[in-house]
Amino acid sequence: MSFCLDTYLQQSDNYEIHASKAGFKDCAMIIRFKADEIVYVKPGDQVLGVRVIGIPPIPIGIDDKKGTVFIPYTKPCHGTSVVELPIDAEEIDKIRELNTQ
Amino acid sequence: MKALILLGCPETPSQTPMAVYAFSKLTQSGYDVTIAANPAASKLVKVSDPENYYNLNIVDLERTLGEVKEGDYDLLVGFVHKDAAAAFFVTFDQILNTKSIALVFERDLDLVGEFVDMIEESGSKAKIYAVRAFHNPSPIKVNFDKALKELE
Repeated sequence: MSFCLDTYLQQSDNYEIHASKAGFKDCAMIIRFKADEIVYVKPGDQVLGVRVIGIPPIPIGIDDKKGTVFIPYTKPCHGTSVVELPIDAEEIDKIRELNTQ
Repeated sequence: MKALILLGCPETPSQTPMAVYAFSKLTQSGYDVTIAANPAASKLVKVSDPENYYNLNIVDLERTLGEVKEGDYDLLVGFVHKDAAAAFFVTFDQILNTKSIALVFERDLDLVGEFVDMIEESGSKAKIYAVRAFHNPSPIKVNFDKALKELE
């Protein structure tokens, strides 16, 4: 079964919030600062089972050593958060395939 | 012709009457209109029409985001009064790749400028109508009427 970010965040506590209730641009900057590798995706691209929301180019951070990704997560009333969560190498490769730059 | 109205967080008082107004005006203009909103914003709009006079068609914002695709709508109208609302508008705009109108408003003029910049920086071709407003829907209504006129 493919990964679903919404379900994961509801059912697991194995993730880290690096920013919350923030603006999208601040979150994009945090991702670029924190992650060694950055993949840029388009708004609406499917990443971890959800459509990514934001202003292009949207950065997704990858930490290969830890096997984690940093993703912006936007809700209408809560602004944007930066969530770091562990995912399979296969899912990381799927994100790399979306790179626009 | 189909139009999608995107509502943001319902904290802004003028959004709810403007949602009903925009739905009514677009329907009169011949559009089959859908409002996409989160549960709280949805309830505010639904309660505003107890007799179902407007026959409002309201769908869940996030479910719609998951399902929508290019060609589903001929017009996108977004209420942009928060950073997140700008991010949602740009995302729907890029997916739908159709005519779009951004009604930008906030009580803080600096934030109005920030949201306009976010939409412009995205490369969107949306027509942006920006004004300082919060409680009073009139400035947004004036902008929406102007947007509709320019659409004709």
